[in-house]
Amino acid sequence: MTNASNNDIAYAIYLSLKNKEDSGQVGVMRNIATFLSKKRLLNKSEKILASLKKIINKEEGRILVKVSSVEKISPNTKKELDDFLKKRYKAREIIFQEVINKEVLGGIRLEIENEVIDLSVKNRIDKLQEYLIRK
Amino acid sequence: MNSNTIVENLRKEIENFSLQTKVEKVGKVIEVFDGIAKVSGLSDIKSSEMVTFAQGETGVALNLEEDTIGVIILGDFSKIKEGDEVKATGKILEISVGDDILGRVVNAIGVPIDGKGLLKNSKTYPIEKVAPGVVTRQSVSDPVSTGIKVIDAIIPVGRGQRELIIGDRQTGKTALAIDTILNQKGQNMICVYVSIGQKDSKLRKIEARLEEGGAMKYTVIVSAGASEAAALSYIAPYTGVSIAEYFMDQGKDVLVIYDDLSKHAVAYREISLLLRRPPGREAYPGDVFYLHSRLLERACRRNEKYGGGSITAFPIIETQAGDISAYIPTNVISITDGQIFLETDLFYKGIRPAVNVGSSVSRVGSAAQIKAMKKVAGTLKLDLAQFRELEAFSQFGSDLDESTKRQLERGKRSVEILKQLQYAPVKTEHQVVVFYALTKGYMDDIDISKIKEFESGLIEYTENNAKAFYKEVMESKMWTDKGEEQLKHAIEEFKKSFIK
Repeated sequence: MTNASNNDIAYAIYLSLKNKEDSGQVGVMRNIATFLSKKRLLNKSEKILASLKKIINKEEGRILVKVSSVEKISPNTKKELDDFLKKRYKAREIIFQEVINKEVLGGIRLEIENEVIDLSVKNRIDKLQEYLIRK
Repeated sequence: MNSNTIVENLRKEIENFSLQTKVEKVGKVIEVFDGIAKVSGLSDIKSSEMVTFAQGETGVALNLEEDTIGVIILGDFSKIKEGDEVKATGKILEISVGDDILGRVVNAIGVPIDGKGLLKNSKTYPIEKVAPGVVTRQSVSDPVSTGIKVIDAIIPVGRGQRELIIGDRQTGKTALAIDTILNQKGQNMICVYVSIGQKDSKLRKIEARLEEGGAMKYTVIVSAGASEAAALSYIAPYTGVSIAEYFMDQGKDVLVIYDDLSKHAVAYREISLLLRRPPGREAYPGDVFYLHSRLLERACRRNEKYGGGSITAFPIIETQAGDISAYIPTNVISITDGQIFLETDLFYKGIRPAVNVGSSVSRVGSAAQIKAMKKVAGTLKLDLAQFRELEAFSQFGSDLDESTKRQLERGKRSVEILKQLQYAPVKTEHQVVVFYALTKGYMDDIDISKIKEFESGLIEYTENNAKAFYKEVMESKMWTDKGEEQLKHAIEEFKKSFIK
């Protein structure tokens, strides 16, 4: 049991909470807290919670996308992105986290979990520099 | 070139530049210490996959854990900081290779460091590769002519063999390897010298010596210096063998020297301990045997059906106070097809190369030895062993019978003949003549102090007066009765003039 990873614990918590009514969830929550304290895992609760969030998002087909751009992206672009990402990741819901970042110089940069789709001007310039040096 | 042309060229290049947008797998550096980076994300990275850091440094993913990966950084890790982006490349670590790598000094990732410009290579080779399988192999049948009498006669090495050179510090291990490279001139052999954790000054000397001897034309030096990160020392031998494989794939014979694998094991131990892998005996990780076995297993002789070619490996191991039963030496002894054991005592007695004939062995090389050499040197090892025994025994008493005395005298001359100066390789046919004269007793009445003089004179004299013998040995690898008669006559003639 001591070898159970944060992910394992988070997944177990998810399964025990799944399909439970609100009233039932309170009892389960209490049990989880007791379990974590008994097993001295409370110091890991932050990481377990982060894992739990990821699991819930994955199970419910929800994807968090960080969009970096120089200025606020237009609703049209957002709609297009939403359609594209839903198709690509077979997701039900896309949650955008918009970041204004002058360093991208132009265009947008999408961060989806481990993946990055970089359509920014800065990336193009970096790649051009690499290409010219190689030449 | 004026500024307008430069601008024009640049404009053209920029116009030609097209960027394909692709999804990149990206992680973040959590911590960096001693050449190791812990990276979060990159959940579907492969083991030994290459990653690039934001500053352009390369790394290799070694430890794949649940939430993080442990990356060894191949280069300067001082610029990498927490939170930096790390990109997966989807490729196992590979190096650029090509024919123009010959004569160059490259670092552990195959980038030239000799100031002669970049390589114009078109091919890349992965540094980790599964060794050639059983069906592609063939038994060792051609000799590697090292030019060192004691090796060619008593511990012969074949093309495709793995022969360990083992000994304490300052016993001439590197010298033996360098002499072998120097002797490969015109032998249709490509040499790769992998320097692991050596001083840069030593490497510079070696390079200068090889250059002077005209050996750099067929040699590549792979260097992971003592001042560089342990990760580079760890991958350097694999880079060396990948370069060798490139040439072997063209059907060529290659000789790889790993100088030395003790430092390689130490570098791997450092990395493993930093990656928090459990330490085992002498604090080496559990897979230190596999570390060397997978490297040396890539040495092979491929059969004609699979393109021919061979990789001969000369790993070097440095022992502490002659202890060959330590962990790494025993491991490598068991992996290789024999060992050349160098001893400090012999070295200081003036027997150089300081090869201990009793402890040295070649398990497969005798099959590759030419017939003429087998004939003249067949009993030499046994004779020398008996001589050493008698020598120790004779110290207790002075009354010895005639045959024992004769054996002792012959032994002393054999030892004298096997001595050889550094950078003075001897051709195989010359060796055959010298050993012929020795084993047939022509040197028994020559004064020991004059043996060396006799040897050089004999080679010179017979070369002019026993041409048929030389021709037979060089062409058909064995002499005929006619050739032997001519040689006998030449030796007798020379001896007469020498004694006068």
